Amino acid sequence: MKHRQTLVLALLLIAGTSAATAQGLLGGQVTGNIQLDGQISRRDSVIGSEDVPQKLLSNARADILYTNGDFSAGLRYEGYLGPMLGFRPDYQGQGIANYFVSYKTQNFAITAGHFYEQFGNGMALRAYEDRYLGIDNALRGINVMYRPFRGIILKGVIGQQRYFWESRGLVRGADAEVSLNDLITPWSEAKTRITLGGSFVSKYEDNSEVILSDIPGFKLNLPRNVATTAFRMDLAHGGFGLQAEYAFKGKDPNDLNNYTYHKGEVLWLSASYSQKGFSANIQAKRVDNMGFRSVRTEAYKEMLYINYTPAISKQHTYAFLSMYPYATQSMGEMGLQADVMYKFKKETLLGGAYGTDLHINASLIKALDTTQIGGIGTDGYTSTFFGTGDTYYGDLSVEIAKKLSSKVKIAATYGYVVFNPIIEGHAGDLHHNHVLVGDLTWKMNKKNSLRFEAEWMGSDSKYDAAVDDKRCGDWIMGLLEYNFAGKWFVSVSDQYAYNDGVGNYYNLSVGYTQGATRLQVGYGKQREGIICIGGVCRNVPASNGLTFSLTTSF
Amino acid sequence: MKKGILTLAALLLATVAMAQNAKFPGNVTLKSLDGKSVESSVIENGGQPMIISFWATWCKPCNTELDAIKEVYEEWQQETGVKLVAISIDDARSASRVKPWVNGKDWPYEVYLDQNKDLARAMNVGADVPYTFIVNGKGEIVWQHKGYQPGNEEELIEAVKEALK
Repeated sequence: MKHRQTLVLALLLIAGTSAATAQGLLGGQVTGNIQLDGQISRRDSVIGSEDVPQKLLSNARADILYTNGDFSAGLRYEGYLGPMLGFRPDYQGQGIANYFVSYKTQNFAITAGHFYEQFGNGMALRAYEDRYLGIDNALRGINVMYRPFRGIILKGVIGQQRYFWESRGLVRGADAEVSLNDLITPWSEAKTRITLGGSFVSKYEDNSEVILSDIPGFKLNLPRNVATTAFRMDLAHGGFGLQAEYAFKGKDPNDLNNYTYHKGEVLWLSASYSQKGFSANIQAKRVDNMGFRSVRTEAYKEMLYINYTPAISKQHTYAFLSMYPYATQSMGEMGLQADVMYKFKKETLLGGAYGTDLHINASLIKALDTTQIGGIGTDGYTSTFFGTGDTYYGDLSVEIAKKLSSKVKIAATYGYVVFNPIIEGHAGDLHHNHVLVGDLTWKMNKKNSLRFEAEWMGSDSKYDAAVDDKRCGDWIMGLLEYNFAGKWFVSVSDQYAYNDGVGNYYNLSVGYTQGATRLQVGYGKQREGIICIGGVCRNVPASNGLTFSLTTSF
Repeated sequence: MKKGILTLAALLLATVAMAQNAKFPGNVTLKSLDGKSVESSVIENGGQPMIISFWATWCKPCNTELDAIKEVYEEWQQETGVKLVAISIDDARSASRVKPWVNGKDWPYEVYLDQNKDLARAMNVGADVPYTFIVNGKGEIVWQHKGYQPGNEEELIEAVKEALK
C-alpha cells in the first residue's frame, strides 16, 4: 500500500515535471541535492570502530523538489547499503523515505505527506532531521497553517513519526502565535515587540500491552492519550531581549522514566542585552521528566521523540573542548549558561590596528534534588523546584581573537570542562579537564592560505579498560590545513594521548569544491563529533580507514 | 527497484529543467531577530543583487566568512548595491544567542532565523554550512557555493558583478 502511494506520487511528480518542461516550464522548476557518503573501514578496538564484514559502507540520498508558484512537491531517495558506522542497522535498505505535496500562500498553507515542524522552541513538538546523527522523526500526515488576520498564526498537525523505514505512533498538535505589535494597531510602531504563543500536543497509543507494576499483583493502567501543553513569550526592547517557554506533560509511564506516573515539566528562560560590539546572554533551564515519545516501549534512546529539550551549554567546536559533548538529560536537570562578547575597538591599547574580540562563556548543569518513592507503577520520585543534586556538566571558556596584520589572524582559547560520566550511563568520578588552543590563519595571498591549530588537554581522568572511555588522559593535537585557490584543501592532523590515555588519531583529508559540488576524501582515525575542516562543519561518527563524501545541489 | 528507476527518471528530468535559474522562494516562514514570524518575501533589495548566506553561531568558517565580508562590505555596497542577508540555522539550543551574537560581532547584515530549516530545505542547502547564494535583481538564484576558505570572498564579489550584467 505504501509503495503504491509512493508510486502514484512519483508519477504525478514526473508527469507534472514533463508537462512543465514541455510547455516552457510554466514557471515550474525542479531543484534538488544529492549526497553520497562512504567508508571503507577497518576494525580498531582502540578507537572503538567496529568490524565491517562488507568492507564498504555507504549512506546515499537525493532530494528532488518541484515548485510551481504556490504549489510544491518533493521526494527523497535514501539508500543505506550497509549503514555507516554510528547509524542503527535498522536503516539497512533503500527506497523513497520522504515525499510530500504542499500548497502555500501568504495566509494559508497545507502539506500532505512528510513534513518537519516546530512549535516555539520545540518543547512540545519538534519534527526534525539530523542526517549525520541518523535522527529523522519527520511526521507523515497533514500540516496546516492559517493566518486569520495580521498578527495571528494558527498551525495544526496530525501524523505518524518516521521510524527507520516505517511510521509509528500517532501525534496530534495545534499551535497559536500572536504578535501583539501586529495585532494591536497603536502598538505597531512601539519599540517594545512582544510575541506570545501556546501549543497543545497529544499522542495516542493502544494500551493492550501488559506491564507489571513493582507493587506485586498489579499491572499498569496505561494512558492511551498523553498531552503536553506549552506557553512561550518573546519580548524585545531595543538591545534587550527576554524569552521564556514553559511546558508540562501529563502522566506518561514509559521506558525512559521506568514506567512511573510522575508528571513532566520544563521551564526555559533566556535574557540578553547587546549593543554594537558588546553582548551578554544568560539562560536558565529546569527539566523534569520531559522525554515525550510516541511509543512508550521504544528502546532506542534517540528515536520517536515528539519534543526537543535543547542543551543550553555552548556547542564548542575545537576538538578537545567538544570532546565531552553535553546532551540534555530529559529525565531531569537544572542548568545555567552565560555568554559575554566584547570587541576592543581599533586604535586602542588592547584593540591594536584591527580590533580584538573577546568571548567568555560559562555553564553549569546539575541533577535535580529528588527523593525516590517507588519503582514501576508509582510516582517514582518527588523533586523540589529549586533544589539541585550532583554536577552533570560545567564549562568555562575564554577566547581572544585578533587580526595581527592584513594577512595573519590568531586566536587563543583557554577552556575548563567538568564532566560526569553518569550522563552517558557510566558510574565514576567527575572528569576535570583544562584545555589550551592556539589557532593561526595566514592568508599568503588572494588564493592561498594556511591554518595551524595546536591543542592541549590535561585531565585528572585515567584510561580504565573496564569502562573503556577513550577520551581519558592527557592529550596533544596538531592540525595543519592548506587552502589552495579557494577550491582545494589538504589537511593533516593528529591527536595523541601522551599520558594516562590510549589512542593516536591521525587523519589526512583532501577536498575539492566547485560551486555547489564538493568532494572530500579522508584517511585515518576519526573521533565522533563536530569536525570543521576545509571550510565546512559537519558531525561525524567514529571511523577508521578511508572515508569519502560527495555533495551537490542543482 | 521500481523506486530506484523512478528516482533516476526524476533526476534526469531535473537535469532537463535545470537550464532555467531557480527562483528565490518567497513563501517560507522565518523569524526576525525580534521573534516575529515573517515571510521570506520580505527579503529583497529593490532590483539589486543579494547575497544569501546560511550560517550558525557554532560554525567557525561561517563566522570567518561573515567577519571577512564585513571588512569590505561598504565598498561592495557602493560598488554594486549588493545586500547580504544572513540566515541562521541555529536550533533552539543557540537560537536565542543569535541576536546578541550579531550585535556583539557588530555585523551590518540583515539576519533571520530558520530554526526549522524550511528555507534551507527549499534552497537545497543540505546539512553543511556555510552555504552562500547570489540572487540577482529578478529574484533568480544565479550562483551558489558551499563552504568558506579565505579568499572565497573575491570569487563572491566577482559573481555579484556578473549578476549585475
